[in-house]
Amino acid sequence: TRTLTKILEEISTSLIMWLFYTLIPCLLLDGVALLPAPQNLSIQSTNMKHLLTWSPVIMAGETIHYSVEYQGEYESLFMSHIWIPSSRCSPTTVPECDVTDDITATVPYNLRVRAILGSQTSAWSILKPPFNRNSTILTPPGMEVTKDGFHLVVKLEDLGPQFEFLVAYWRREPGAKEHVKIVRSSGVPVHLETMEPAAVYCVKAQTFVKAIGRHSAFSQAECVKVQEETLPLALALFAFVGFMLILVVVPLSIWKMGRLLRYSCCPVVVLPDTLKVTNSPQKLISCRREDVEACVTTVLSSEELFRT
Amino acid sequence: MKAQRASLWLLGTAFLLSAAHARGLRRCLIAMDMRHLGESFQHIKGTIQAKDTFPNVTILSTSGTLHSIKPLDVCCVTKNLLAFYVDRVFKDHQELSPQILRKISSIANSFLYMQKVLQQCEQRLCHCGQEAANATRIIHDNYNQLEVRSAALKSLGELDVFLAWIDKNHQGTPAA
Repeated sequence: TRTLTKILEEISTSLIMWLFYTLIPCLLLDGVALLPAPQNLSIQSTNMKHLLTWSPVIMAGETIHYSVEYQGEYESLFMSHIWIPSSRCSPTTVPECDVTDDITATVPYNLRVRAILGSQTSAWSILKPPFNRNSTILTPPGMEVTKDGFHLVVKLEDLGPQFEFLVAYWRREPGAKEHVKIVRSSGVPVHLETMEPAAVYCVKAQTFVKAIGRHSAFSQAECVKVQEETLPLALALFAFVGFMLILVVVPLSIWKMGRLLRYSCCPVVVLPDTLKVTNSPQKLISCRREDVEACVTTVLSSEELFRT
Repeated sequence: MKAQRASLWLLGTAFLLSAAHARGLRRCLIAMDMRHLGESFQHIKGTIQAKDTFPNVTILSTSGTLHSIKPLDVCCVTKNLLAFYVDRVFKDHQELSPQILRKISSIANSFLYMQKVLQQCEQRLCHCGQEAANATRIIHDNYNQLEVRSAALKSLGELDVFLAWIDKNHQGTPAA
């Protein structure tokens, strides 16, 4: 019995020693700073883009990495030990994570983050309450209303494939009907209507996200006016004056051209006064004989003069 | 004469009600973004179907089980099949690859959402007739005949059949 008690004593002492040795490192570690878990987890969601942010963990001179994991309602209900690493932020060095591609169903999602430094990891910080994407803030869409001649054209902000647009347009006059057009592709100009001149047309739009069954508010209405069909006054005056000139100049030039043509092909010849014959032709012949005799006499006398 | 008129009137009302009900279900599921579900499945279809060790056996398509479902039974069968996947298939399947796990999670959570939508939408008219119950039983029996892991894998591989069936009966606005 003495040996038995001695053996028991030895066992207990060695047990105590063993416990003591294992506890020392734990006691010592209490004194050293453990890697703290990230704090102040929050999520901002606008137009179906979800951004998880947290306060950065600061350790002097060290680069802290973060790891983000998520768990849908299905996992939290039926397999709560399953957490899926985020597609973009496992790991990441910035204290934020775009979890848009991870939140793919309209159910509550649990999100958790922890800090990593070398082989050390912090405890997990979980986002409270769980995030459901149907709480996203939907803003009125950016819209560019233009007129292409008489065509009313609108170009909508590209918000991704989950967005549809309801475009409402109307003529700004009392009793005018509001038309609605559903646009499924964003970023591409869409023709709304062919406008009538001298009318003002107004357009407004809202988004619709089928996955969460919600609309945004309508954007501010933008109005465009079509140019008047009647010309400005100055232009009209010029046109009138020009027209009158043409009315006068054209007949005048036609008349002148006519006269020119007449002269060039069939001219009218007028006899000058000296050649005009007033007497009969018989008398003309008798006058000529008398003149010839007078002419001969004059010629003889000059010949005599030269002989002497 | 009066009896004839009355019975015709009743028939007409019944027809209108069933048409309205079928249309109501379509309106119900129109809120679903089916396109994303289909895309998620396409990513994993090849890998999942390649692992199927019983290619000559089917769980969903026995003698056109789904295609013979009448419009009145569509709501009940949709609910039952969603429950089949959520309560049995996804739980029985053990996925190790993170990429595939991500897609299966997306599909499972979307099915959970669809169950909630259906629950709110057609509370009054979604009762289960004999044919709907039969179709559901056939599918469960097919599943039970195989070993659990193989059955779950095969059912996952046949998701495209189920999604196409939902799409056909949902007949909402056509995909862009």
